[in-house]
Amino acid sequence: MSSVALRGYTVLRAGRASFLLHRRSAFVATGLLLALAVTVVASLCLGESTVSPAEVVKVVLGQPSAHQLVVGEFRLPRVVVGLLVGTALGLAGALIQTVARNPLASPDVVGVSWGATATVVGLMAYGVVGSTGQVPYAAVAGGLVAGLLVYALAWRRGLHAQRFVLIGIGISVALSSLTSVFLTKGDGFQAQAAKVWMTGSLNGSGYDQAGWLARVLLAAVPVALWAARAQRSISFDDTTAVGLGLRLDRIRLGMALLGIVLASCAAGAAGPVDFVALMAPQIALRLARSAQIPLLCSALTGALVVVLADLLARRLLAPTELPVGVVTGLVGAPYLMWLLVRSRRGGS
Amino acid sequence: MPDHLVPAAPAPAGPAPDHRLEARGLTLAYEARTVAEGLDLRIPDGRVTVIVGPNACGKSTLLRALGRLLKPVRGAVLLDGAELARIPTKRIAQRIGLLPQSPTAPEGISVADLVSRGRQPHQSWWQQWSAEDEEAVAEALERTSTAELAERSVDELSGGQRQRAWIAMALAQGTDILLLDEPTTFLDIAHQVEVLDLVRRLNVERGRTVVAVLHDLNQAARYADHLVAMRDGRIVAQGAPGEVVTAELVREVFGLDSVVVPDPVTGTPLVVPGSPWAVKADA
Repeated sequence: MSSVALRGYTVLRAGRASFLLHRRSAFVATGLLLALAVTVVASLCLGESTVSPAEVVKVVLGQPSAHQLVVGEFRLPRVVVGLLVGTALGLAGALIQTVARNPLASPDVVGVSWGATATVVGLMAYGVVGSTGQVPYAAVAGGLVAGLLVYALAWRRGLHAQRFVLIGIGISVALSSLTSVFLTKGDGFQAQAAKVWMTGSLNGSGYDQAGWLARVLLAAVPVALWAARAQRSISFDDTTAVGLGLRLDRIRLGMALLGIVLASCAAGAAGPVDFVALMAPQIALRLARSAQIPLLCSALTGALVVVLADLLARRLLAPTELPVGVVTGLVGAPYLMWLLVRSRRGGS
Repeated sequence: MPDHLVPAAPAPAGPAPDHRLEARGLTLAYEARTVAEGLDLRIPDGRVTVIVGPNACGKSTLLRALGRLLKPVRGAVLLDGAELARIPTKRIAQRIGLLPQSPTAPEGISVADLVSRGRQPHQSWWQQWSAEDEEAVAEALERTSTAELAERSVDELSGGQRQRAWIAMALAQGTDILLLDEPTTFLDIAHQVEVLDLVRRLNVERGRTVVAVLHDLNQAARYADHLVAMRDGRIVAQGAPGEVVTAELVREVFGLDSVVVPDPVTGTPLVVPGSPWAVKADA
């Protein structure tokens, strides 16, 4: 059916059900999936010893291979955690930017990352938790508490988007100062370990993290699908959105809550990996050229950025490994800036 | 017009053939500041009702309450006899369309995409686009003469075109009642007339009930069937413009001395400010 109203969309029909598909978003998502597959394979091939792609595919499919140990035990868990962390961050960023109606909003900004950081660093520096084990729980708890606190403080007869961002910045600054206090006052050796955690690293990541992160993401899928539909009206001003029948408060709370949970869990699995949640949705938006931030594309962009950044983090200064959080900015920021400069609105 | 319904508790879906939308004993407030008190208003079906009054008289607040955007402190807005606050917001959206004073759309959205989003209240998670949606959007585009703009980005339209696109979206929503908050505010006079003519046409040709807040008293008198004059949160007068708009009313509502003459084109009341300053500026 060709229609004026739906230019750029395809309607998928099944009986009485019908689904709107933004075509360009679908193409971009497919492209991102392919790029992700290539990056994952490359990431599994490259390392201190190089393994052929054919062998890598064998290991991934569970067939016997001589490289089972290096690829299957060392590299694969790390890549899987990277994938999940990136997906969670990309989706969290997309949700929070949608709620805040602000491209600068992200879990890094609205308190989640610093909540996780301050909690973990505080507990580590004073020897309450070791460098593994309970750290993820502490991070998730800290991120959740800080994120919800910011949300509650920004609430005034409904969520005020600007207050959400400003209060988030305020709380983040306070928490980052607190983190510095913990680092200087805490036990020297423990504080050092906390510092490493703070940069966000996939080094030593294993299936423990992957397991629960995967379950959280799976649980997030239905909420994200519901959010994706609401996005068609939430991207208007509040009055218009309500006029279109949107239960604005409920939807915002749902989206923000999911974003905060996902970002907290990502921080729990890999530490605060900076900037991914901020740039992935913006990159995805510009690639998909949709009217609202595309959730699936944002999640895939997040995954791609993290996996690619981790590959570079491992190989750039080999044999020295950089924390992935150091590289995400190096990979994503220039690309985002290039997109911004190229697609100056109205300039085409 | 029928007498007031018996004011016993909100009537359950009672037949209200002439006034589907009605406010009873409405007290409205922002935080602790009371904006309007004890408002009673019945919106005549299939007519254009225009609310006028000086700045901060509560006219936009009243409109917000009629559109369930502001919960009344006391009293209730009734839609088809049921309290608005008790009707699910999506059901309201199938019956009342809103156009705020300065609506914002996502950057880069096309006119067609904008208008198609007016169909949201008729869709669900698993029914995202129907033949009816298609038809309603095509008709809305055509009626507002925005079909030729369909593929343009809303950002790059002129003020008048943009307002037509937004009206098209409200139209695509397919509601019997349309609430418009100062739809002409940012437009030059030609575009003001264009938008008001469009609203009038929709009312006459499609039988839509329109409630609009307007700044300009003369435009209100020209386009309204039913005029509501407010001051300090109270309704001072209401009725047909020809009966309501007098020099006394203008003084009472706006505190302005004026001469009211028949509009040379339409015969509706035309308010000519009486003070020399206005004469100097106008003549």
